[in-house]
Amino acid sequence: MAKLKMALYWAASCGGCDVAVLDVNEKILDVVEIADIVFWPIAIDFKYHHVEAMEDQAIDVCLFNGAVRNSEQESIARLLRAKAKTMVAFGSCACFGGIPALGNFTNRAETFERAYMEAPSNDNPDRTFPQTKTQVNGNELELPEFYDTVLTLRQVVNVEYFVPGCPPPADLILKVVDAIATNQLPSPGSTIASDKTLCDECDRKKEEKRITKIYRPHEIIPEPERCLLEQGILCMGPATRGGCGALCISVNMPCRGCFGPPAGVMDQGAKMLSAVASIYEGKDEEEIARMVEEVVDPAGTLYRFGLADSMLRRKRLEVP
Amino acid sequence: MLKKMLAQLGIEEERVRLEWVSASEGDRFASIVDQMTEQIRNLGPFSRNDGG
Repeated sequence: MAKLKMALYWAASCGGCDVAVLDVNEKILDVVEIADIVFWPIAIDFKYHHVEAMEDQAIDVCLFNGAVRNSEQESIARLLRAKAKTMVAFGSCACFGGIPALGNFTNRAETFERAYMEAPSNDNPDRTFPQTKTQVNGNELELPEFYDTVLTLRQVVNVEYFVPGCPPPADLILKVVDAIATNQLPSPGSTIASDKTLCDECDRKKEEKRITKIYRPHEIIPEPERCLLEQGILCMGPATRGGCGALCISVNMPCRGCFGPPAGVMDQGAKMLSAVASIYEGKDEEEIARMVEEVVDPAGTLYRFGLADSMLRRKRLEVP
Repeated sequence: MLKKMLAQLGIEEERVRLEWVSASEGDRFASIVDQMTEQIRNLGPFSRNDGG
């Protein structure tokens, strides 16, 4: 069999997904055994023009990590879509927006103000901000346009498969590579993970869920055997897809929701809010108000990885 | 908490209201629905407005 042609790309991401691919350790040699990597900015020196020179559909599979928040990322997503037979949204940012999509609580102007003016390390009295076009010594320099809104990969191009996780765990990556190699990928549109919730695969003891106080993770040392939610820690398990191997839970940390909503759930944050509301046991208005106060940033907590993929997608922009 | 979260997402507080109405309070139920309908009508249609 001819070797597969594989491309990997990073857009708005931290690089952790690329590192996760290398984290399969010696198995990376198996990947190279079955696939020629034709584009991988973090590791291999191919340029955009090499990809542009390829024929359409010349790449068998593209693992695209990162959300889309500027024009460069969008154009590379479109380019790779044209060149790849199969597009995989790889990692939480490509699937749901991920951490970068928390930027959807703000916009370009506010982000620039924070990054180039307010941040303590800045000294910018002339209020210099990035421009898409700048004249320097008679030459025009270009930068990508930064968007107000962080997008998921699916909001930009058609995507065949979703591999969630921040980053996707090694066994899931190997499962994907194996499915590609043996041509056993599920039907397009599938998410390659469990269809059930994380709670379903969590082996902590679950008794009665009735909480009277919400703790942030640093405010309590949880009992290691008992359901974290029952201990008043906002664990996203009820509204999060399983398949991660319960890595966080097993080290006494609550699920933060990086695998996105389980099958059939449209809005992860709304689902989680409904789960939390149903276990609140406030005696009176005052106590309920206190419990609401205890969740300092509900939207940021419940949509930590899923804001771009939620029903609202972002904080509403003021109408100009 | 829903209200707090929706405020973070830029949604007007007036669009959400939580009331307990007993099955025997038909008139009250009707008047609350009327008030809410009027309130929403005054706010105008909701647009998601996700920019670009």
